[in-house]
Amino acid sequence: MITINKRQQVTWYAGMTVQALLDALKYSYPHIIVTINGDLVKHDAYEQTTVPDEADVRVIHLIAGG
Amino acid sequence: MKVLTFNPQRCDGTRACEVTCAETWFKVTDVAKSSIRIQPKEAGFGAQFCIQCGQCIDVCPTNALFQDKQGIVRVRKQLCVGCLSCVGFCPYGVMYFDTAQTLVFKCIACGQCVKACPTQALEIIETDNVSTDLWERKSR
Amino acid sequence: MSKSTLKMLAAFGYEVPTIDRGYAGQTLYVNVGSGTITAKPVTEDMKTKFIGGRGFDLWLLWHGVKDGTKWNDPENEVVISSGPCGGTTQYPGSGKSIAAAISPLTDVVIDSNAGGHFGPYLKFAGWDAIEVQGKAERDVVVYINGPGGQVQLWEVPEDCPTDTHVLGHWLLEQFADDEQDKQQLAFVTAGTGSEHTLMGCLNFSLYDRKRQDLRYKQAGRGGIGTVFRHKKIKALVVKGFPVKGNLNHPADLERIVRVGADMQREVATWDPVQNRMRSRGTSYLVQIMDDYDLLPVMNYKFGSHPETPKINGDIWEARYTQGLPDGCWYGCTVACAHAVDNWKVRTGPYKGSCVIVDGPEYETIAGVGSNCGIFEPWAILEMNFYCDTYGIDTISFGTGMAFAMECYEAGILDPEKTCGLELNFGNAEAALEVLHQMGRGEGFGLIFGLGIRKMKTYFIEHFGADPQFVNDIGMEAKGLEYSEYLTKESLAQQGGYGLTNKGPQHDEAWLIFMDQVNNELPTFEDKAEALHYFPMWRTWFGLCGFCKLPWNDVVDPKNKLSSEPQKIMHHVENYRQIFIGVTGQEITYDDIITQSERVYNLQRVFNIRLGHGLRDHDAIPYRSAGPVIEEEYHSREERYDQQLREWLNLDPAAMTVAEKMAAHRQYREDRYEGLIDAVYKRRGWTNNGVPTPEKLQALGIDYPEVVEVVKRHL
Repeated sequence: MITINKRQQVTWYAGMTVQALLDALKYSYPHIIVTINGDLVKHDAYEQTTVPDEADVRVIHLIAGG
Repeated sequence: MKVLTFNPQRCDGTRACEVTCAETWFKVTDVAKSSIRIQPKEAGFGAQFCIQCGQCIDVCPTNALFQDKQGIVRVRKQLCVGCLSCVGFCPYGVMYFDTAQTLVFKCIACGQCVKACPTQALEIIETDNVSTDLWERKSR
Repeated sequence: MSKSTLKMLAAFGYEVPTIDRGYAGQTLYVNVGSGTITAKPVTEDMKTKFIGGRGFDLWLLWHGVKDGTKWNDPENEVVISSGPCGGTTQYPGSGKSIAAAISPLTDVVIDSNAGGHFGPYLKFAGWDAIEVQGKAERDVVVYINGPGGQVQLWEVPEDCPTDTHVLGHWLLEQFADDEQDKQQLAFVTAGTGSEHTLMGCLNFSLYDRKRQDLRYKQAGRGGIGTVFRHKKIKALVVKGFPVKGNLNHPADLERIVRVGADMQREVATWDPVQNRMRSRGTSYLVQIMDDYDLLPVMNYKFGSHPETPKINGDIWEARYTQGLPDGCWYGCTVACAHAVDNWKVRTGPYKGSCVIVDGPEYETIAGVGSNCGIFEPWAILEMNFYCDTYGIDTISFGTGMAFAMECYEAGILDPEKTCGLELNFGNAEAALEVLHQMGRGEGFGLIFGLGIRKMKTYFIEHFGADPQFVNDIGMEAKGLEYSEYLTKESLAQQGGYGLTNKGPQHDEAWLIFMDQVNNELPTFEDKAEALHYFPMWRTWFGLCGFCKLPWNDVVDPKNKLSSEPQKIMHHVENYRQIFIGVTGQEITYDDIITQSERVYNLQRVFNIRLGHGLRDHDAIPYRSAGPVIEEEYHSREERYDQQLREWLNLDPAAMTVAEKMAAHRQYREDRYEGLIDAVYKRRGWTNNGVPTPEKLQALGIDYPEVVEVVKRHL
C-alpha cells in the first residue's frame, strides 16, 4: 500500500511506475511536482521510475484556473 | 538570397565586425548595439547573427516584420511596438532590443562587417539554406 | 456604408498630458444625462492608496453614488480604468481594463476585467480612468479623441446598430478615416441583450492587424452592460496614439525589458510542452476538469461526462485559426484570445452571415456546454457568438440555463411556462431560442434574463416551486451566477467562491487542487491563510492592469525547487520589477499584499454601505457544498459512504440515502461556518464580516466616511 498526498491509499504492485500511477489516478494536469519519500522525480523520468511499496507519494498540482 | 556567413577558422577575435555594426546602425561603438555577436569558444571564436529564417514574422502582432524582395527579414520601425515577442521567440537569440528607441534590431546582411573584418572571416553569400550552418562556414 | 449624421450634445477640450511613470494624472468624468464633461485630478493619495484600475474604479464610484443608490439610478456609474502598468508592451498580459458599477444582479459593487485596447488607449489619450454617470434621453456615444484633445458626447441616429459585431463596424465607419485610424480606435459596447436582461456584459474591442478586423474581449460579470445600456450608451470610443513601447514613460524601461525578455523566452520554451495556451487557450482545461471530476455537468450535479471529448481542447485547437498572434494586448505571447474565423451563423437574426467567434474559452465551453448537458461544438460556438454580440455574460447565461433546465426536468417549468420550449438538458436549440428571446426582449427570455436569484423568487411565487429545492440548486451567491468549477469536495474553494466581495467567480481564488487534490490545506487556518493570500495577490493584477494567466499558466520548471511553488515567486518577482520599473516606487512582496488589502477592504465596506456585505451575504447554495438530490449521491456513493465512515464514524449500511444525505449536509454546512470564522479572523474582520476600524486604520483607509459605515455594524 502506498499513500498519495498524505490521504489516499493506493494498492501497490511490483513494477508500478510513476506514470502508471498518475494514469490510474487520472492525474492529467501538466503542472505537477511528484516526490517519492521526499525525493523529486523529474518529469521525463515518470515512465522509468518505479514506486516502492509503503511509499509516501506526493503529487502537487500547481494552482491554475483563469 | 544573399546572407551573411561566418568562418570560425579565420576569426581572430578582433571584433571589428561588432563595432562596425554598432557604428553603422547606431553611430555608437557600444557593441551591445551590434547585430552580430562574437563569443570566445573552447577553440577560437563563434559568431551569432540572424540567418533570415523568418520565424519571427508570424509572432509579430503588428506586421512590423517582413521579408523583403531579397528574402531578408526587416523591421518596419514605425509599426514596432517594442513588445519583445520576436526577441523571446527567436530560436537563435539573434533579435535584439534597443531600449532608447524601444525598437528591435537585427542583421539585415548589409555587409559592412564583411568589409571591416581584417581576416575575411565574414562573407555575403548567395544561398537558400537558412540554418546555423551559416555560423560555421568551412574554408574552401 | 456612409457616415451618418451625429448630433453633438457636448464637447470638452483638453491638453493631453505627458504620461508620467504610468499615470496620466487625471480622470475623465462624463455625465451623459446633463452633458457635463470634466477632468478630475489624480491625487498622490489616490496613487499611493488605490494604485489604479479596480482601485481607482472603486474610489471614484464610492464618491459618485449615495448610500441608497440602486443599479438603475442615474447616479450609478460605469467606471473603467487600466492601471499604471497597463499598456506595457514588454510583458505578456499587461493591457487589461477593469470596469466597475453597482450591479443589477447583486445590488453591490461589481468589478470585471477584460483585454482589448480600450484601457491602455484611454490612458495614453490622457485619462487614468473614465467615469460615466447620468442617463441620456436618447442613445449616445462618448468619443475621446486623444490626438485631437477633445471629449465629445454625440447623439447617434436611428440607424446606429446595437449588437456589438455590427455596431463595431458602424463605429469604424464613423470614426476611422484610414487603416491607421482603425488601429488607433478602441470601443466599449454592449448589445440588445443588455437592454432586456440584468446579465449584460461589456465588449472591449481590439483591432486585429493580422485579420484586419475587430475582435472583442468581454468584461462579462455582474451586468455592467445592463447599466451601460440603461444609461442609453451605445459605445465609448477612444482614439489613442500610435502604440509604442514607451508610452507609459516608465521610470526604468531597462528593468522592464530585462524581465520581459526573460518571460517571452519562458513562454516560447515552456508553453509548447505545458498547457499549450498558444494553440488552444484555456480550452485545454475542459478535459482536465473532467478527469478530476470538477467539470460542471447538468447544473453542477456531476463533475464529468462520457461525451466531454466532443468539446475538449483538441476539438477547439482544430477549430481556432492557428499561427496568429492572438494576444488581447500587444506583447502577450501567451495568446489565449483565440478565435474561430468565418463561422457561418446558423440561427437568429444574423443567420447566414460569416463572423469571427471570439473564443470559446473554458468558462463558455463549460457554462453553455457541459453544464447544460450540451456537447455539440456548433451550439457552443453559436451561443458564444450571440452572447457576445447581444452583450450577455456567457457565464451567467450558461449557469442560469443549467438551473432553468434542471427546473424544467424537475417539473417546475413546463412548455406552458417557457413559451413552448422544451428546456431539457442537452436541448441546444431551445437554449439558443431563449438567448434570441433575450435579444428581442420577449417570452421566457425576459424571466430568464433576470438571473438565477430573481428566477428563483419568480418560480416560487408564480409556479409554486419548493423554495428549499430552488435555493439549493440555484447556483448563485450574492445574486451572481457561479463560474464553472465544481466545489463539492473542496471546502477552501467553497470559500473561494462564497467569501468574495463581488460574488462567486474565480478571479479571487482557485484553490481546488491545493485543497482537494494536494491536501496542502488540511486545517481551517491553512485554508484561511490561502483565502487571504491568494485573493489579495490576485486582486493586485486588477490594480495594475495585469492579466493573471501569464502568472500561472506557463511556468519555468525551476519553480518546482522553490519553497512555495504554488505562489510562483519568480513570476511575482517579475511583476514587482515591472511595477518598480513603471512607477519608480520601490515595493516589497508584503507591500503588494497591503496594496490589495486596501482596495479589498474598501470594497467590503462599500458593500456594507449598500446594505449588504455581512456574514449572511456570504452564504452559498448547498449544491456547491454537497449532494442535493439522490441521483447526485448515487453518482458518488462510494466516496460519500466512505466519508461518512471516516469523518463521522457512521455506518452507511445502516442508513437510508435520505439519512446519509442529511448527515453529509449537516457536517458540510458546519464546516463552511467554521471556515467563515477562520477567514474573517485572518482578514481582520468581525465575526459578522465587518472590517474593524483598527484594520482600516492599519491600512490607512480610515477616512471618516469609511469608518462611519463600519461603526454602524460593530
